[in-house]
Amino acid sequence: MKILVPVKRVVDYNVKIRVKADGSGVETANVKMSMNPFDEIAVEEAVRLKEAGKATEIIAVSVGPAQAQETLRTALAMGADRAILVQTDAETQPLAVAKVLKALVEKEGPTLVVLGKQAIDDDCNQTGQMLAALLGWGQGTFASKIVAGEGSIAVTREIDGGLETVDLKLPAIVTADLRLNEPRYASLPNIMKAKKKPLETVTPDSLGVDVASRLTTLKVVEPAKRKAGVKVADVAALVDKLKSEARVI
Amino acid sequence: MTTTSSTTSFAASVLDPIRAIVGERGIITDPGTMQPFMESWRDGWVGRSPAVVLPDSAQALAAVVRICAETRTPIVPQGGNTGLTGASQPHADGSEIVLSTNRLNRIREIDLDNDTMTVEAGCILANIQNAARDVGRLFPMSLAAEGSCQIGGNIATNAGGVQVVRYGNMRNLVAGLEVVLPDGRIWDGLRGLRKDNAGYDMKQIFIGSEGTLGIVTAAVLKLSPLPRATATALVAVSSPSDAVDLLTRAKGKVGDRIITFELIQRFCIDIARRHVPDVPDPLNDVYPWYVLVELADQDSGERLAGMLEGILEAAMEAGEVLDGVVAASKAQADSLWRIREGIPEGQKREGVSYKHDVSVPISKVALFLDRANAALEREFPGIRPFSFGHLGDGNIHYNPIQGEDGDPAEWKARLGAVNAIVHDIVVDLGGSISAEHGIGRLRIDELPRYKSPVELDMMVALKMAFDPHNIMNPGKILRLNGNAR
Ligand SMILES: Cc1cc2nc3c(=O)[nH]c(=O)nc-3n(C[C@H](O)[C@H](O)[C@H](O)COP(=O)(O)OP(=O)(O)OC[C@H]3O[C@@H](n4cnc5c(N)ncnc54)[C@H](O)[C@@H]3O)c2cc1C
Ligand SMILES: Cc1cc2nc3c(=O)[nH]c(=O)nc-3n(C[C@H](O)[C@H](O)[C@H](O)COP(=O)(O)OP(=O)(O)OC[C@H]3O[C@@H](n4cnc5c(N)ncnc54)[C@H](O)[C@@H]3O)c2cc1C
Repeated sequence: MKILVPVKRVVDYNVKIRVKADGSGVETANVKMSMNPFDEIAVEEAVRLKEAGKATEIIAVSVGPAQAQETLRTALAMGADRAILVQTDAETQPLAVAKVLKALVEKEGPTLVVLGKQAIDDDCNQTGQMLAALLGWGQGTFASKIVAGEGSIAVTREIDGGLETVDLKLPAIVTADLRLNEPRYASLPNIMKAKKKPLETVTPDSLGVDVASRLTTLKVVEPAKRKAGVKVADVAALVDKLKSEARVI
Repeated sequence: MTTTSSTTSFAASVLDPIRAIVGERGIITDPGTMQPFMESWRDGWVGRSPAVVLPDSAQALAAVVRICAETRTPIVPQGGNTGLTGASQPHADGSEIVLSTNRLNRIREIDLDNDTMTVEAGCILANIQNAARDVGRLFPMSLAAEGSCQIGGNIATNAGGVQVVRYGNMRNLVAGLEVVLPDGRIWDGLRGLRKDNAGYDMKQIFIGSEGTLGIVTAAVLKLSPLPRATATALVAVSSPSDAVDLLTRAKGKVGDRIITFELIQRFCIDIARRHVPDVPDPLNDVYPWYVLVELADQDSGERLAGMLEGILEAAMEAGEVLDGVVAASKAQADSLWRIREGIPEGQKREGVSYKHDVSVPISKVALFLDRANAALEREFPGIRPFSFGHLGDGNIHYNPIQGEDGDPAEWKARLGAVNAIVHDIVVDLGGSISAEHGIGRLRIDELPRYKSPVELDMMVALKMAFDPHNIMNPGKILRLNGNAR
């Protein structure tokens, strides 16, 4: 079984996001970038499937700028076998990425695509579902457990109020949720090996996909700041404020 | 205060005039409310005092000191009370007032072009770090007590911390000081200068003086550019001397981009994992020693990570490094830091340990560890070596733990003997018995054993010149003329 794992380069989860002064987007210049954390989980799961003898090859894919090579190197250091960069400086949006992935699926012939459930920069939570629809494959989203069988895969999903297990016929799409696994660290020997693994660069054009944005961003603004609290003199004053100002009692 | 009449006269001659200056809000005499000011954070130093005084300006503080000078009332200056040598608590006889800087907590000025910030002594270190970050600068002093300790205390102890290898200790971060002298005069040395050779450099006398020469009321601090990127790795090495080779290699390649270089003995990781949740063990095998290394600079993270990987790969090819992991995200970096941060907590829960805050030249660290471990094992079989710390500064927390068996009380009684063995070796190798925390009361009786008579004479001369009546934190660092204080 070949597995395709798409990975996105995003602003590091622990960086405080700043909005650009002109409101056109968030500041990404000179900001620490890392692999989307849900994609890290997807890579880890693919590597575990390979280590368990269920998968034969893992191909990591990133759609993005030249620097996304670093993200791919991280995936290779974690255990992916080779990588493909679909290089574009356009702002990537779920539908365009899903079309690129569809083209790559047709070219590479994987039987499983494992994605993160969403990217933490735009929080869209759409790419996996769109790809499933474009390919006409089954999908197991928000996966917290995967058990690979013969010709099928059982995916335990995190849903409102509990867990649901779906049995998918392969080929299929899985999107990883937080509890699926804990991604490993890239070890030094594996980082060294990763530098020798193949990393191919293609363009969206060569795959016949137009990635031009179909959405227009009007304005990006900071969330409203929380107002400072006030101290009240006594319980009576508190009750009074809850009644007259907050109107909650 | 033994008799009622002396209590009354002390109240009338000292406390009443002080109260007149600082007001009711500026003085505490109720024993319950005073208690937190009487006790140390660690190691059980407890004292007594007739009053804790909290002036809200340098002028008020100076007026209080004048009253103390006139009445020969001894003073214990106190900041965040996180010091580790018993220097910030009063003695048990209740003769000293505690002078707290808690209310001197204003940031007076930030000068961005000069890269300086003028702060009052009672500002909490973490608040200063945040104020600098808010204007796009770094104030690099950083230590585990930063949420409680105050900059005045950091200055008075010449604090070190985790980034000394790059930015130096407190002494390197101060451009100017304002100090109240033991006679109550205010010295305004708040100069934001990087070059000032007009006479003796007086501020350096007060830095690291542990409150024995005067009370710092404000300081001009030097700010640095805020690093944008960090790269963090945990690597395994077979010995401390290989760790030193790695440090030398890294310095040659990236110089002062190294902000952290911590040596960690395997046993420390085991103990941290035994007692503290979420401490990872990210390497596949177990190795005798580890190094936590972090680089930082202004550039993008990818280039920096590339540099770190380049150094580590070359070291691995040279056999200095056995294995390692590089953090791929800040979350992974934070997780690696939990190893280092979990060690003191883990150690606390593992039984009696013998703490040493020592430094030796970096080139002697490996030799020091070999000699000290061998000497202790010879004298106290079963004692478990436990070493970690700032290899980049030659500052090892050499804290062996009692043997697995045996009566804790028996082990506890060996503290002095263990200290003497370790400190003799340290000094023999040209090291210091206090790298960071100071002498205070903890090491006051050891100092004469390790300092030459000439050096002790200079220290006494300095003390007498500033504080002839010995009212400023007496009985800390030095005992004068063989007296108890
Ligand atoms: C968890 C923990 C971790 C620590 N880690 C480190 C570390 O990594 N590196 C390190 O160097 N230290 C460390 N320390 C000890 C360190 O010295 C203190 O945390 C800090 O520097 C002291 O500041 P403070 O405001 O608490 O001072 P205090 O404890 O209040 O006082 C310390 C000394 O300074 C004097 N003093 C205080 N304020 C003034 C003033 N305004 N003028 C004159 N004298 C004054 C006191 O009289 C006393 O002698 C640590 C302590 C703890 C509890
Ligand atoms: C062309 C030129 C360029 C210079 N450029 C600079 C510059 O860029 N930056 C700068 O800071 N200075 C500069 N200086 C001045 C500088 O202070 C001296 O050049 C140098 O630092 C003094 O060294 P020296 O051995 O000549 O000392 P001397 O001139 O011999 O002595 C200078 C002082 O030090 C004392 N002294 C000398 N040796 C000792 C000792 N062993 N112990 C105790 N005291 C001692 C002397 O008593 C005297 O007070 C320059 C001078 C010249 C002529």
